[in-house]
Amino acid sequence: MRLAGKWDLGRNVKWIGFKWVFLVVLLVHGFAVFFFTRGFLLTRSELSLYSQCDDVYGSPCFSPPRDQNTSQVYWAKPGVDRLVIIVLDALRFDFVAPSTFFAEKRQWMDKLEVLLDHASRNGSAAKIFKAFSDPPTTSLQRLKGLTTGGLPTFIDVGNSFGAPEIVEDSWIQQLAQNGKRVVMMGDDTWVKLFPNHFIRSYPFPSFNVKDLHTVDDGCIQNLIPTLYKKDWDVLIAHFLGMDHVGHIFGVESFPMIDKLEQYNEIIKKVVAVLESQSGPGDLHENTMLLVMGDHGQTLNGDHGGGTAEEVETVLFALSMKKRPIPQLPDADSSDCQLDAKRRRICIGSIQQLDFAATVSALVGIPFPFGSIGRVNLELFSLAGGSWNYEMDNIGFDQSASIVGKWLQDYANVLCINSWQVKRYIDAYSSMSLIGFSDKELLYVSDLYSKAHERWSTTKNFSFGMNQVSVDSSPSVQMLLDAFSLFLESVAKLARSSWTEFNLKLMGLGFCIMLVSFYMHLILIKKLEMLCEHGSWLSNYRMNLLGVNLASFMAIVRACSFLSNSYILKEGRVAIFLLATTCILQLRYAAMKKTRFLEGLLFCSLIILLRFSIELGQLKQAVNSLFLKVDPSQNPSIPLDSWLWMCITEVTQMLSLMILAYILFRSMGSYSSLGISKCIVVITLFNFFLILLFWASDNLIINLDPLLGSMKGNLIPRLTYSAGLLQVILLAVSRWGVTNISNSMEPAAKALALLSAGSSTIIILSGKQGSMILLALAIGGWCISRLSMVNSNKESSQHLLFYVLPVTQWSFLGVCMCSFDGLRYAAAFVGFDEFHLIRQAILLTIDTFGFSLILPVFGLPLLVASSCYSKEKNQCIFIIRLSQVYLIYGLISAITTTFSMLCVTLHRRHLMVWGLFASKFVFDFVALLLTDLIILLCAFFYFE
Amino acid sequence: MHQQKLKVGMACSRCTEDGAILFSLLVQCMMGLAFGFWMAFNLFSISFIQDPAQTLCLVWVVEFLIAILVYSLFCKYPDQCSYLRAVARGLLSLPAGALVNAFGAIVLGAPVGLQQFPKTLHWSLLMSTFTFVPAACVYGTSWSDWNRIYVRLKPTGVTDFMVSLPAHGAVIGAWFGTWPMPLDWERPWQDWPICVTYGSVAGYIIGMVVSIVLSVAGDRKGLKTE
Repeated sequence: MRLAGKWDLGRNVKWIGFKWVFLVVLLVHGFAVFFFTRGFLLTRSELSLYSQCDDVYGSPCFSPPRDQNTSQVYWAKPGVDRLVIIVLDALRFDFVAPSTFFAEKRQWMDKLEVLLDHASRNGSAAKIFKAFSDPPTTSLQRLKGLTTGGLPTFIDVGNSFGAPEIVEDSWIQQLAQNGKRVVMMGDDTWVKLFPNHFIRSYPFPSFNVKDLHTVDDGCIQNLIPTLYKKDWDVLIAHFLGMDHVGHIFGVESFPMIDKLEQYNEIIKKVVAVLESQSGPGDLHENTMLLVMGDHGQTLNGDHGGGTAEEVETVLFALSMKKRPIPQLPDADSSDCQLDAKRRRICIGSIQQLDFAATVSALVGIPFPFGSIGRVNLELFSLAGGSWNYEMDNIGFDQSASIVGKWLQDYANVLCINSWQVKRYIDAYSSMSLIGFSDKELLYVSDLYSKAHERWSTTKNFSFGMNQVSVDSSPSVQMLLDAFSLFLESVAKLARSSWTEFNLKLMGLGFCIMLVSFYMHLILIKKLEMLCEHGSWLSNYRMNLLGVNLASFMAIVRACSFLSNSYILKEGRVAIFLLATTCILQLRYAAMKKTRFLEGLLFCSLIILLRFSIELGQLKQAVNSLFLKVDPSQNPSIPLDSWLWMCITEVTQMLSLMILAYILFRSMGSYSSLGISKCIVVITLFNFFLILLFWASDNLIINLDPLLGSMKGNLIPRLTYSAGLLQVILLAVSRWGVTNISNSMEPAAKALALLSAGSSTIIILSGKQGSMILLALAIGGWCISRLSMVNSNKESSQHLLFYVLPVTQWSFLGVCMCSFDGLRYAAAFVGFDEFHLIRQAILLTIDTFGFSLILPVFGLPLLVASSCYSKEKNQCIFIIRLSQVYLIYGLISAITTTFSMLCVTLHRRHLMVWGLFASKFVFDFVALLLTDLIILLCAFFYFE
Repeated sequence: MHQQKLKVGMACSRCTEDGAILFSLLVQCMMGLAFGFWMAFNLFSISFIQDPAQTLCLVWVVEFLIAILVYSLFCKYPDQCSYLRAVARGLLSLPAGALVNAFGAIVLGAPVGLQQFPKTLHWSLLMSTFTFVPAACVYGTSWSDWNRIYVRLKPTGVTDFMVSLPAHGAVIGAWFGTWPMPLDWERPWQDWPICVTYGSVAGYIIGMVVSIVLSVAGDRKGLKTE
């Protein structure tokens, strides 16, 4: 006895600072996560500033004259009166470009002949452009980018949850602001992005990928009649069929060819209508038709990433104007070749980033505030060619000066364009949290000031009068180059900070994470050496089986994060693995002929958990984009029926009562003193209050008159404050009154801690909370009983026996977690008004309560039940507990690391933001929270 | 000393004899499986993917008939029970084994629901034919033998191998067979019992091959020690 005491003393002295280890773990994980997210989560702040017409007077450029009729000022003189934009979703470049541009002719090429016909026709104002989009090439982000002229990332700070409405400035916004009328038809994403901007819209659901024709048919029905109407200025028709065909059948399929042929017919009709109305004074005298893709697709029909196939798409422009366009000096940038019918076809190139600025310049509205694109010369020239000049009256020798004049106007447009981009960059760097780096900003500003110097000299010397001298063209050309250089470097800067991941930082975070593994393992091993009693060899083999099994399961679960399908069914994967270990333990128990019943109970508990997870997923699948659940796979329970509701209500109440009873009984079994008993009593009282709270809005028995005063926020607030009181009491008992805490058994302490947390968590998670908690309690009991089978008396000291149960325990936590998604309603239990910090805390408690907080609180019970007994000193318990906590931390660290790996590998995947990134964010929050709670527990338990 | 040697020799001659019989048995079982699938496809013209329940039914009936008739020949305690009793035990063990297998499958996440019920039923009957029926025919109700084979994993002798290895192979194969199920490939074979059945059949065959190899190796070893 004395010897043991001495041992105890020595160890105590040595490990007195052990709890600080958990702080170190928390810090290391924090650093890893910080670096990784800094590199991975590209953030861009959305500025809700809008360009106004009158702003242009602030620019150093020539401001165009006011419109006499509306007294509005144009930023650029409008080149077209009306605009028809046909968006073909997922239009690959080779769907349009002539097959001679490619090494081999494939079956889907040359199908959109109408475009080729017009592009090759001599003298027609039509051109095909190769359009480069920026990743992420998903429709929503592309539409955002096309309309705002920015580079949308997925985490645009300022984006409200759920509603995708664009809060930034866009040309649609500008059109609406300046009295232009926009008609939209097709993909309903547009209506979600711009709910109030269209005078008329014909949205069709884009939700169902398997539906190939609804959107297209809807478009076709409305498109042609609308073309004959006068009441619009801009018409947008978004056809979705090609994207859906690609997703389902791939590009190399007959449905794709059918679609292309169908589109060919539609565009032919549209062009015919436009041409029939394009005479002088007619409806479409000065109309421009744009046929464009929002992004490309791979041969399998995927898109979202940044490969050439996905990024390259097409823009086809056709101006109805009957006059020749100016032959621009640098028009040779486009690539000209003969097509299959020996016609010469030139293909220009355009960045989709430039689309917003170009459209704004064409229509004459202010550039969107956030647009960082450049007005594209070739596209702008298609419409602006004969703007304002009477070409018919001038001879050939004068056309050169016309071009010069046109170029000067273009230079003015570019000047305004640069001025607006500079204004945006300045506003962005002053307003956003994470701006650009100072060095880059300085460089860009330098370019801008140089361009402006040139502008002011050129302006004075050749622009001043309306007369144009031919020899001014080289200086104009240099001016254009200066502006272009500025705009290009801004675009480059924006791309580097908004679309490119910082792989170095990500790698650094990942490596720190790996280092933390090493740290965990070393610590666990060191602790093991402390308590070594020579039992290593005797039970080595059996233990090793358990450890191998546990690590196998943990790794299988971690690897399952590499696939989106497994992440979606995470709960079921965890159940599967948990059930596997459980069945193996059951077999083991059968071998030992003990604890067989506990195993069976655990199995049936797993079945129940499984059904509830599936029911939860059934509910979730209704609003989820990715999750598909086949209802036929579940037992068909009429969830709305009265009987079913009765049963659930009664079960929920019953389980709360059973919990209270269990708590009462277990309190009696510990002979500890005052404070812990007091805490448990408060919890029992809380349970009673919760019962009343539930009864107050019961559907079956109406207790309203009786409990009228109790309704509302009183009970939840009481529960919260009671929980807070309990925590304070615990803290006092731990640090304030040393005598009491020493006499408390660890199990009693753990019980007090658990009961302090449980009532708050139950009331937050609603009525099902009691059932989940009961399941958790039963699960924990079964695991502790089953793990006792593994350990006979001598080896109960041994660490390795804990690995399997702890793994099971964490799986159980995961299962608990996957009932519902985030439940925002939980944040408002007991409070009506929104307060950020308070509601965030409540939401966190609700989200992680069952999956993380209670399991970590409960782990000491698991340890105490198997290793603590009165004769032995407390040191062993503490060492065991820290080992168990380290293993638990290790498991969640492995999970997070694999999520990191997964988002790194899939960073250009279609679902990275919808699924992988949110999973990653969830995981790292969970990891940090786990570390924090473990740290708190360590302070609580360790002397 | 002499007696011992004689014993070893006898045992070993039985070993080689058993090896040959074992081989023919395994061939018969595999033929049974193949015949079942062939019959379903050609005689009844039902494909496994479109109509899993009926195919499974056909397969397990054929396989069950072969297994029960063949394995009953190897009854471990022939003096205690006749051939017919062994057959009867096999018959009785079929539903019991199906219950255990179905329970395991549901714990692991097999779908439940009225539409799925026939598939689960026939699948668990097939699994029972792979796992419980041979053991019941060979060992009867001897708890210690069952324990040795299925729980403690200490098979001794050829009969143990040929009962336990294919059974374990079938279960492990079925466990791995579930892995493709959650993937979003949207192939028809990812549905509930199909890929699991493929896995278990593959595991069963592998188990049989391994048991042949092991028993042949055991023979060699026996010869060497002699």
